Amino acid sequence: MARVLGISAHYHDAAAALVVDGEVVAAIQEERLSRIKNDPGLPLAAAFACLQHAGLQPADLDAVAFYEEPFAKLERVLVHLLRHLPRTWRAFPRALAGQLGSKIWVLDHLSEGLGVARDRVVRFDHHRSHAASALLVSPYEDAAVLVVDGVGEAHATTIWDGRGGRLRLLASVEFPHSLGLLYAGLTAYLGFAVNEGEYKVMGLAAWGQPRLREQFAKIVRLTGDGAYELDLACFAHMSDADLGFGPALERLLGPRRPPNRPWDFERADDRHYADVAATLQAVLEDILLALAREARALTGADHLCLAGGVALNALANARIQAEAGFSRVFVQPAAGDAGGALGAALLAAQERGDPRPPPLRSAALGLAIDPARAHAIAGELGLPARRVDDPAAEAARLVAEGRIVAHARGRFEWGPRALGQRSLLARPRDPATRERMNRLIKEREPFRPFAPAVLSERTCDFFTAGPDDMTPFMTTTARARDDVRERLGAVVHRDGTARLQTVAAERAPELHAVLTALAARGEDPVVLNTSLNGAGEPIVAGAEDALAFWLRHGVDALIVEDLLIERPA
Amino acid sequence: MTAPLPRPPRPGLLRRLGARLRTIAGLVAHFLHPARFVLAPLLVVLLLAGVLLWLTGGLAYVAPFVYTLF
Repeated sequence: MARVLGISAHYHDAAAALVVDGEVVAAIQEERLSRIKNDPGLPLAAAFACLQHAGLQPADLDAVAFYEEPFAKLERVLVHLLRHLPRTWRAFPRALAGQLGSKIWVLDHLSEGLGVARDRVVRFDHHRSHAASALLVSPYEDAAVLVVDGVGEAHATTIWDGRGGRLRLLASVEFPHSLGLLYAGLTAYLGFAVNEGEYKVMGLAAWGQPRLREQFAKIVRLTGDGAYELDLACFAHMSDADLGFGPALERLLGPRRPPNRPWDFERADDRHYADVAATLQAVLEDILLALAREARALTGADHLCLAGGVALNALANARIQAEAGFSRVFVQPAAGDAGGALGAALLAAQERGDPRPPPLRSAALGLAIDPARAHAIAGELGLPARRVDDPAAEAARLVAEGRIVAHARGRFEWGPRALGQRSLLARPRDPATRERMNRLIKEREPFRPFAPAVLSERTCDFFTAGPDDMTPFMTTTARARDDVRERLGAVVHRDGTARLQTVAAERAPELHAVLTALAARGEDPVVLNTSLNGAGEPIVAGAEDALAFWLRHGVDALIVEDLLIERPA
Repeated sequence: MTAPLPRPPRPGLLRRLGARLRTIAGLVAHFLHPARFVLAPLLVVLLLAGVLLWLTGGLAYVAPFVYTLF
């Protein structure tokens, strides 16, 4: 039986995950503690927080597992810098300084930062870590595993056969061809920040039509064997770390959209950019579907696990579930690079003979919030806080009154989705609620949708499909029933879909209690559920963050365990 | 509230040097594979540069596509 800490770091969204005796005990993204959005730095705060949660010291660890092979990555960087000379000559010194200044020494830095013997620090392949993060916590004994991201060491897409908890690589697509980098390049083209704005592109897609398939056929194409290739002339990710796309892309699609310009669909050019997003989404879905079908053909598996940053594309996941031929599909909540920490920890635990963990039931793998601390801070600040006996009933009352509630209870979530532990909750009925949330609190583009959370057993009252293996983690979408569309006006997107969360008591008890209390009041057991953060901020973690959020943003009420603060209606 | 775990003290120079040598040995072993011989001369130059960077405190650079290049 082993105690293993998994680490992902140095590119984006660093994280630590702790596996003890084959059980996932804690998993935390560094950004939640450092308060730097998508913090890529060595996640020592997250690592120590995981250990503290489990009552362990660094000396108790049997292994620290890094989610990537630094030398293989250096090799790929070298080969591609040389292959793409002279385009890369400007990037060459910085690239090598980055590699040699810190990245190849990452195992040493982990050993020193954690105080663990160097021979206990091990590493695993990036895509294998991703694949393990999905398969080994999935509800399936055997499954095909499809990993799709920007790039790891060299792989950008991999298909694995997962049987008996073991992973066997069957097929791959190598960098510089990459669906993740295709999506990232177009994200930059549309004027959004890469590694953050991809969700905006997905939301924008519903406002356009996939009219640009002819142009996109020149940008990316299926090769017929389940793989794909990019027209590299359109991209610059081989030679430019800042932009990601090249002049050829602008010749095909027109000039890039200026960043930060307000969106106005009355303008012809903004409608064109929406068409670009819609076509990108459609093409991505087509290729992912082809890859998923190839995975099914290669493995004969009935179940599919998806991982990698592209697996956070909820629209594509829904289409794979519906059309790829698998009976069940699973995506773990931190499918992006953070999830690699969990995968690496699970692989190291498996190597040490530990059993496979039970299927992941809840994403609440972070730190609990401290109500005593919240009361103390509120007292120091002179805020009108009061103690309540039934926070769920209070939250339901406020939501039913049409108010926006900042809800911080239990351990914070693993992954980018707020699933009720650190959420903003509101009534799902009124589109004006969405406007208010978008413009005043989240400061987001008006086209971005919000997601509903629904009582699991009542899902079919509102949506055309019931709960599946992805809906508890908000990694897929479902179509709202026509007869309830008006009752879900704030959470159903323009295309009639919603990225729903189905809430069962054993998975998110605090949110389940709120929904149950709403039902008891005669309301629909559905809430608008979005992450408890403002623009550019990481999601709230501790009591200090929750109170700071309250002071900065115009929400109507804050609940931190049994603490309630309300603004006058 | 529980006090945070104390951070370990920075290891001594000899221990850090030992760790770096272990990493360099691993790196050399990786590039000694016949398929990677062509990169060996470059590696020697890079290792010298790496030692210089280590001695001078390293360099951090952040950009959106940093993971594709760096």
